[in-house]
Amino acid sequence: MRPSAGLLGVLLALAVLVSGLVQSTASKRCTQEENVRLLQGVVFHLGLSDLALSTEARYTRHPAISDSVVVSMDHPGAIDHFPSTFFWAPIRR
Amino acid sequence: MLIDLEAVTKIYNQGQINQVSALRSVRLAVAKGEMVCVQGPSGSGKTTLLSIIGCIFSPTSGRATIGGRKISRLPDHFLTLYRRELIGFVFQNYNMIDHLTVLENITLPLIPLGISPRVREKKGDLLLEKFGLRHRKKFAVNQLSGGELQRAAIARALINDPPIIVADEPTAHLDGILSLEVVDMLAALKKEGRTVVVSSHDPIVSGHPGMTRIIEVRDGLIMPNIGKA
Amino acid sequence: MTMNSVGRLLNILDYALYALRRKLLKNVSVFCLFALVIFFLSSFLLVSKALTEAAQRILATAPDITVQQMSAGRQISIVASAANELSGIFGIEKIDERIWGYYFDESNGANYTVIGMRTPFVGSPAALQLGLAEGRLPALAEQGKVVISDNIRQHLQLGERKHFSLFRPDLSQAGFEIIGLFDKKLEIITADLILMTLADARDLFAIPEGYVTDLLVYVANPNEIDTVARKISDTLLGSRIITRNQILKTYKVVFNWRSGLGTICLLTALAAFVILAWDKASGLSQEERKEVGILKILGWQTSDLIFLRFCESLTVSLLAFLSGYVLAWVHVASFDGALFRPVFLGWSVVRPVFSLAPPFAVEDLLLVFTLSVIPYLCATAVPAWRAATVRADSVI
Repeated sequence: MRPSAGLLGVLLALAVLVSGLVQSTASKRCTQEENVRLLQGVVFHLGLSDLALSTEARYTRHPAISDSVVVSMDHPGAIDHFPSTFFWAPIRR
Repeated sequence: MLIDLEAVTKIYNQGQINQVSALRSVRLAVAKGEMVCVQGPSGSGKTTLLSIIGCIFSPTSGRATIGGRKISRLPDHFLTLYRRELIGFVFQNYNMIDHLTVLENITLPLIPLGISPRVREKKGDLLLEKFGLRHRKKFAVNQLSGGELQRAAIARALINDPPIIVADEPTAHLDGILSLEVVDMLAALKKEGRTVVVSSHDPIVSGHPGMTRIIEVRDGLIMPNIGKA
Repeated sequence: MTMNSVGRLLNILDYALYALRRKLLKNVSVFCLFALVIFFLSSFLLVSKALTEAAQRILATAPDITVQQMSAGRQISIVASAANELSGIFGIEKIDERIWGYYFDESNGANYTVIGMRTPFVGSPAALQLGLAEGRLPALAEQGKVVISDNIRQHLQLGERKHFSLFRPDLSQAGFEIIGLFDKKLEIITADLILMTLADARDLFAIPEGYVTDLLVYVANPNEIDTVARKISDTLLGSRIITRNQILKTYKVVFNWRSGLGTICLLTALAAFVILAWDKASGLSQEERKEVGILKILGWQTSDLIFLRFCESLTVSLLAFLSGYVLAWVHVASFDGALFRPVFLGWSVVRPVFSLAPPFAVEDLLLVFTLSVIPYLCATAVPAWRAATVRADSVI
């Protein structure tokens, strides 16, 4: 086999791999669809305003609730918030 | 005439302080099937003359017609096209690409012509057979002896089946017996009807019975006919 | 294109691949480095896309308007009876009272979100709608009954026990009984939640009778949200009105800002890499010069040689691009972007488990392509051209 044919084969294989991954993610998204409806119900009933990703960040969890350790706390348009801006965990006691 | 140079001048670095006139109004005609030896000390303009005959560059002024094609003032692109079609080169230091095999080296000129690997190999095999290098086909070129290298170089020069062979000091790095072998080969090409232009100051080359003419170049001029009928 | 020129391209590509193989170690390291940069870049893009998109989808049903009381520039509790003043505004479908607070668990440093709601909710079966894995919701008159997430149960180290207590501000203990657990599938929003009745929340946080933290206003017609919000702000002086759009926008900005920051860092890496590529490509060794001279004299055109270099660069960059991109998808879709979660999520003690499923967008693919492969090709173009213009007569 010519090297160029080999290269084209490898590129093609990679492209197929990409599309396979995209496909499988798309089907994963479909199965999540049901869950999303459930989540939307909870969000609706509890009036949630954010994902529970940064649970220490009061400001993200609920853009309106703030306390004295939160910087830039009182405007929903403010983009910075403690501690989500920190990349690493602080020293634990 | 297969090679026809009329008042050909070549000036390097024209208009600059290091301007050099390598050829001065040279006139040369070589017929089909001739074998010509170009002699001259280094710096005489030998290599420049060979380069113009070999379509490597066009002259600064004058008219040069190679194989019926006018090459004066042609851009590189067209010179390359003519070179592919008309010229086979043999060099004194073989100019092989070290990391390629013998077969790959001799089929290099076929790559930009879009010839498939299979056909390239077939053509290469034929020539390697002809020059007794079949068993060296897959060898890296640095495993070859000087004589074998020059045979491979001649094989490469023939891969496009060109009407003109230009050989620049082909025996410079070879001993007497191998030199003779190489000139014999070139003479055999002449017998096939090709035109051979060799530059050399090796008496084995200039004195070879197949040689039809000897041209002496000095200071960018071709000396009046000095030898050999 | 004729057969012949296809043959020419393939032949030169073959030759380029031989050339790459010759300097295998060097080219493999360039490939790995490049693939790594692309992996980081596209992972970043995919994680940010997946999170933003998940938030947009899930929070689509967030309350239309949240009303709060402000005092001295800070948010304070609002009188629940303010809802009565709003009832006259046309277009409001429903107003819910809510107490939203945080409880800091000193023993393990975790922060829980406490929500006090008037339960059970309208439009039951509420348990189903709230996605409880087991149990039920506290009834309106019940005391000390809560629904929590499995995550919190583990943090409180409850095991099979149903009872636990939290501290009031005066350090007296408030006892609770777990009567329901949120489904694990909902962790992305419920990981840190403790749901209880309004009265219990008021008791826990020592909020005066008749006060709540915010009022949730639901508007019948989504187009009316802004109008209703303006009317509310005219009616309740000193209040703060937050609409769903503002929340979603904030969210988007946060993640865009993060991924932007990350992208800038990675672009710096990419720039360094491109400089490296330039440097690598521009140094023309004696051997390479000789090779180019030989090829030219044997009838290769300058364009053939430029194409040869182009093939080399394109092969390396395209392979690296696709490999990096594949790895990024595996990383994000199968490993949930494990490497980048800290950057996007910050740190937390209570961590939800959830999976990322980024949407595929051609523009993302093109973005990564234009940010990586194209600069690489450009960086190698000039050196390639310089190498290709070595004169044919340089070898005689």
